[in-house]
Amino acid sequence: MNIISVGVNHKTAPIEIRERVSLSEVQAKEFLTNLIDDNIALEAMVLSTCNRTELYVVPGMAEVDGRYLKEYLIAFRNAHNEVRPEHFFNRFYCNTARHLFEVASAIDSLILGEGQILGQVKDGYRIAVEVQSAGILLTRLCHTAFSVAKKVKTKTKIMEGAVSVSYAAVELAQKIFSNLSMKKILLIGAGETGELAARHMFQKNARNIVITNRTLSKAEALAEELGTNQVLPYESYKEHLHEFDIIITAVSIKDYVLTEPELQQSMQKRRLKPVIILDLGLPRNVDPEIGKLKNMFLKDIDALKHIIDKNLELRRAELPKVQKIIDEELVGFGQWINTLKVRPTIVDLQSKFIEIKEKELERFRYKVSEEELKRMERLTDRILKKILHHPIKMLKAPVDTADTIPSRVNLVRNIFDLEEQNQRTK
Amino acid sequence: MDNELLNNTLLVVLTSLVSLFYVVSVSLYGSDFFKGNTFAKTYKQPALIVTIVTHIAYIGFLTAPEGYRLNYSISMLMTMVALTLAVIYMFIEFSTKTEKTGFFILSFSAGAEILASILLFTSSGDGPSFSGLGIGIHLLAAIFSFSSIAIAGLYSFLYLLLFRQIKNNKFGFLFENLPNLEVLELLIKHAVAFGFLFLTITLLAGVIGSIQTSEIINLFDTRLIALVIIWMFYGFSLFIKKLFGWDTIHMAYLLIFLFVLTTTLILLMSIFSPTFHGLSF
Repeated sequence: MNIISVGVNHKTAPIEIRERVSLSEVQAKEFLTNLIDDNIALEAMVLSTCNRTELYVVPGMAEVDGRYLKEYLIAFRNAHNEVRPEHFFNRFYCNTARHLFEVASAIDSLILGEGQILGQVKDGYRIAVEVQSAGILLTRLCHTAFSVAKKVKTKTKIMEGAVSVSYAAVELAQKIFSNLSMKKILLIGAGETGELAARHMFQKNARNIVITNRTLSKAEALAEELGTNQVLPYESYKEHLHEFDIIITAVSIKDYVLTEPELQQSMQKRRLKPVIILDLGLPRNVDPEIGKLKNMFLKDIDALKHIIDKNLELRRAELPKVQKIIDEELVGFGQWINTLKVRPTIVDLQSKFIEIKEKELERFRYKVSEEELKRMERLTDRILKKILHHPIKMLKAPVDTADTIPSRVNLVRNIFDLEEQNQRTK
Repeated sequence: MDNELLNNTLLVVLTSLVSLFYVVSVSLYGSDFFKGNTFAKTYKQPALIVTIVTHIAYIGFLTAPEGYRLNYSISMLMTMVALTLAVIYMFIEFSTKTEKTGFFILSFSAGAEILASILLFTSSGDGPSFSGLGIGIHLLAAIFSFSSIAIAGLYSFLYLLLFRQIKNNKFGFLFENLPNLEVLELLIKHAVAFGFLFLTITLLAGVIGSIQTSEIINLFDTRLIALVIIWMFYGFSLFIKKLFGWDTIHMAYLLIFLFVLTTTLILLMSIFSPTFHGLSF
């Protein structure tokens, strides 16, 4: 039984191509249903995120291969003009499993170790379960992938450290102040960047967040959403600068919103207590001269990128540990796959012995009492269990190569004179 | 054999063992700090506790022939400095729940203990033992004071280091592993508070000890002047922030200066004032 994975991702295709083949949840369900109904797949799953659209398929027909599936997806999305098979990657069997493990562990992500991908893999599996396209193989594959991701998260540092500017800003603030809940924060600008930084601060228990924005209603809306309900009119926030320990600026404006004399005055008022100014604006919102003031930590996007680069470097250093976990799980998964191949023989073996048992017991049905017959049945069950224990154990035993399995199966089938094996997949 | 210690197998073993335990503790704290080793993280605290307990037992054995009285040999003072550094550090670690600075403090402990062991094995004299409760407390408090001053100086140094790194956008290993600036400031405050408390006890116990031994207190005694100067500086540093609005950076420079000053004064006094507080090799 083979598992094929094909797909486009950030490594194989540019964003225009990825957009053309991406599938919404509704489309994914329709696509999976088609694959099953057309007997193209016995099992199938779709993983569609902003950076990848990938299919995981247990083929239903001999002619279904990687190329077939690529063409099928391109046709489904009606993207013949833009998307070509060369934009796809293609993997088989163990490499498919390895790929999904790497995806779930976030080491195949655009941002190494990002935290969203596992949820997206789980969504893909949920959709497959909902349309009943996930069978025994994909279920096991996905659950192993979830377990790999969990191990990677707990046993390595692949997900540690900030890798976004807004989160790096929070990480920096935590390196200066021990308890953000005790600090007063001013957010200048209620746009997307500012909002993200405020949310990260909120997640780290910062509650005293005051928002100011040129459009006051936007500031009020964000303050309400965060639950802080603290806003300052844009015209008067400068009068209160000395009250804040952390100031985040993220506005689209040409002139500086904070200048050196203003901050010098505010520092005197707060008796030189340290202040962090996180300038997330582009162009910069804060006069760089402010950084030279005593106990003033002014950090712009470039400075925060230093933190991101350092964290990414630390994450990259964890890759060998992640690969080791994946390798270990891959061995276990491979061995489980092998047991699928011997399962029909085990079933045949058990059926054959049960048949013999029933035939022999039938001969005594009218010669002994019902109670004695039950005792004989229990006795034969125990004997059969012991006789079959070793052959079944031998069949299920781990193998070095998959080639060993047919010889084992044939040996058992010949010894016990089992009928020709059916092409069962279950 | 001149050195009586070498004839006592138990003491020889204990002397070596205590140094070894310090090295093990420092290695565990270092391994956790530099490599994030899980084993080291789990066992560093128990290792430190075992080290401290063994060290106390060792001092008990060492001073037993003298009726458990400390003497003024440099090896004894060094071993006491090592112990008090470790004890104060452990207390700070438990009270502030900050365990990332142990390597730096305990390295000093280990160094002092190894030096004490070497001196103990190579020296033949013991130095005079003190007598009287007042003078005993004076000596112990003085050792604790010096350790607190050393710890405050070291934390101040770490504070300055991290402050500069953040200012200059150097988000390297120390940025990643040292506690944040506010925690370091708290550690400094704890060490200064301990230091001031022990310096006050040193001063009072010294006066009481002198009265007990009917010694006339000479107000121009260099040791007394030095102790009062350091005590005043420490008291001053406790309130300097509130009174004069000094920031932690200036405090840190002051505390490093006090550590250097104290060490220099002790060394100078041991050279130029060989009686009583003089250190016997």
